[in-house]
Amino acid sequence: MRIMMADQGQEWKEIVVDFADWMKGDLKATCVFGQLPKLEDGGFALYQSNAILRHLGRNHDAYGKDGKEAALIDMMCDGVEDLRLKYVKMIYQEYDTGKDVYIKDLPNHLDKFEAVMAKNKTGFLVGDKPSFADYSLFEVLLNHLVLCSSCLDTFPSLKSFVEKMSARPKIKTFLDSEAYKKLPINGNGKQ
Amino acid sequence: VSLTLTYFPVRGRAEVIRVMLKDQGAEFDEKVITMEMWKESTLKASCVSNPLFGQLPIFEDGDLTLYQTNAIRRHLARKLGLYGKDQREAALIDMMDEAIQDLLNKYVKLMFEKDDSGKEGYLKALPTDLKPFEKTLSGDKGSFLVGDKISLADYALVILLIHHQVLSPPCLHAFPSLQSYLKRLCARPNLHAYFHSDDFKNRPIIPGKRT
Repeated sequence: MRIMMADQGQEWKEIVVDFADWMKGDLKATCVFGQLPKLEDGGFALYQSNAILRHLGRNHDAYGKDGKEAALIDMMCDGVEDLRLKYVKMIYQEYDTGKDVYIKDLPNHLDKFEAVMAKNKTGFLVGDKPSFADYSLFEVLLNHLVLCSSCLDTFPSLKSFVEKMSARPKIKTFLDSEAYKKLPINGNGKQ
Repeated sequence: VSLTLTYFPVRGRAEVIRVMLKDQGAEFDEKVITMEMWKESTLKASCVSNPLFGQLPIFEDGDLTLYQTNAIRRHLARKLGLYGKDQREAALIDMMDEAIQDLLNKYVKLMFEKDDSGKEGYLKALPTDLKPFEKTLSGDKGSFLVGDKISLADYALVILLIHHQVLSPPCLHAFPSLQSYLKRLCARPNLHAYFHSDDFKNRPIIPGKRT
C-alpha cells in the first residue's frame, strides 16, 4: 500500500508501532480485529490489508475501467494473495527447513502471472494502467527477488514488469528512500 | 445472461456463492466436477492454461469467465447491489470479509487435518475470532455487518456460522448478537427455503465424511 500511495502521489503520514509497544496491548485492543495495518482516511479507520488496497484502488481509479476489469483485477489480486500467504508461511514457520523447497516450487506459481502478463501486453495484469493487483504483485515479486535473485530469470514478462514498475518516477524515488530501505521486509528479520 | 457455477459436489468454497445467488433469486446453472473427473487432468489443465491457478470454482457470466472464489463473490456483489451504498461501506464490507476469510481459512485447515487432534485447540481459540463480529452486530442498528442492507460479507458469515454450529453446536452460546443475526438471516424466505432443501442438506461440507 505504501508503494501504491507513492506511485499515485498520495501523501500519507506514517505512525510506526514497534513490537514492544504493540505487545503492551493498548493499541491492539482498539483495532477491530486486533491487527495492523490500520489506515485512517479522514475520520474513517480501516483494517485488513486487502480491504485497504481495494479502498485505495477505488480512490485512485486503480480498480479497472469497468465491472469486467474489476472482476479480473480481483481475481489477480486473490492469486497474488495466495502466493503471499505461502511466502509468509515459509518465512515465519519454515525458513531454515523449507526455503529451498519453496524456491524450487516457485516457478509453478509464477508461471500463471507470467502467462497473464504476457497475454495482456500492456505491462499490467489487467487493462492498460496499474491496478492495486499490479502493486500487490510488484511488491511480492520484489520480496521474492531478495529471497532468490534469479527467480524471475525464466519469466521475461514478469522481469520486465518489475523493471518498469521500479522505474516509474515516484516508485523509484520511494524505493531509493531511506524510509523504504531501512524497513526490514518481515518482522522476524528473515528474507 | 446466463450464470454458471462449476465446482465439486460439495459445499466447500462455492457454497457462499450458491447462498448469495439463491437469496437474491438469481438463477444459475451448475456444472458438477467429481474428484474422478478432476484427477483426469484435462479440466485442471485448462484451468491452468486458460488461465489461471488450476483451481475450482469457475464462474461464467455470459462471456466473462472468472476464477478465485472471492473475485467471483465480489463480481456478483457489484452486479446484485450487495456491496454497500457507497465507497466507505464497500471498504468496511471488504474489511469484514477479509476477517471472515481469515477464520474460514483456519476452519478449512482444521477440516483437512488428518485427525481430530486440532479440534480442541481450535474451539478454544474460536471465541477470540468471533468477538469482533459479535461486537459489530451488537451496536444499536446491527441488523447486518455493514449498513442496513445485506452484503457479500453477511453471506460469508452466515454460512461460516452454520458450519461452525455443525462442528460444535454450542459455539455461539456466548454470543447473543451472532445468534440473533443468524436466526434473522436464516429466516429470509429464499434462504429459509434453500437451507431446508435437499439440495443444500445433501451436499457435504467437504469431500469425505468429516464435518
